[in-house]
Amino acid sequence: MAEFSWDIRSPLDRALVAGPYGARGDAGVALTEIRNFDLVQVMARRGKAAELAKAAKDRFSVAAPEMPKAVGTADATLIWSGPDQFFVLSKGGKHSIGALAPPFAGSASLSDQSHARVLISVSGAKARAMLAKLSSIDLHADAFAIGAAAATSMDHTSVTLWRGNDRDGLAVFNVLVFATFAESLWHTMLDSAAEYGVAINHSEELA
Amino acid sequence: MRITCPFCGERELGEFTYLGDAKPVRPAADAGEDVVYDYVYLRDNIAGVMSENWYHGGGCRAWLKVTRNTLTHEISAVEAAAGAGARQASK
Repeated sequence: MAEFSWDIRSPLDRALVAGPYGARGDAGVALTEIRNFDLVQVMARRGKAAELAKAAKDRFSVAAPEMPKAVGTADATLIWSGPDQFFVLSKGGKHSIGALAPPFAGSASLSDQSHARVLISVSGAKARAMLAKLSSIDLHADAFAIGAAAATSMDHTSVTLWRGNDRDGLAVFNVLVFATFAESLWHTMLDSAAEYGVAINHSEELA
Repeated sequence: MRITCPFCGERELGEFTYLGDAKPVRPAADAGEDVVYDYVYLRDNIAGVMSENWYHGGGCRAWLKVTRNTLTHEISAVEAAAGAGARQASK
């Protein structure tokens, strides 16, 4: 009998080698995979968008985004992912699909994406320059402020992109990508960032 | 060419897929054979303003109804196709 291993591993387990990459010197880009998160997609049922909005407000004490934005709550981030739908990104199981099922019963369909997406945080002084090679979104601070989000494509791969809070005075961009496309996009990001010098890592801390 | 998605804003053509003429309407179940044939097979080849269906698959995955001039590529209107989050688009 063949033996199977059911260990949960990141889709980037093999591709991601922590350490410096590309040009030497100070790294212009930091690529960090965020692991071990809860991610639930919440989509309004037909004609229930208003009910969903109320249920979300009751649950999170803030309004869920109705346009391309990411909204932070005390212990979760709500990220717009399309008309009448959003992601709930959190840690520790408090907003897992099991926990969210009761408050959204009747108004929304939930889909657990915790292991279906890879979350990559892109930061550093050259983060925007690197992403400009891959994205057609205007990421200038005037056009893409903190909390701005977009459902878009990078290298023909669908991603959910949003700007988190600044770190050390520099913008931090978060990219959610389908797990099976993650390794491909990861390599593309590495190649695009190589000329600036890259610091590669993984973390369990949400940005 | 760029299309201004009512949900996402202005995006490049590569994020969208063209479906075709948005005008044909599915005939009733008891409509005659000629009407069904027309609906399934016959298309106008418009040189000018045309109403088209586009899919924003590289973005919010919404279906859009785009009014485009096929001679100039000028887009005069974009709206959500029926059922595709029309409530949100109308805001």
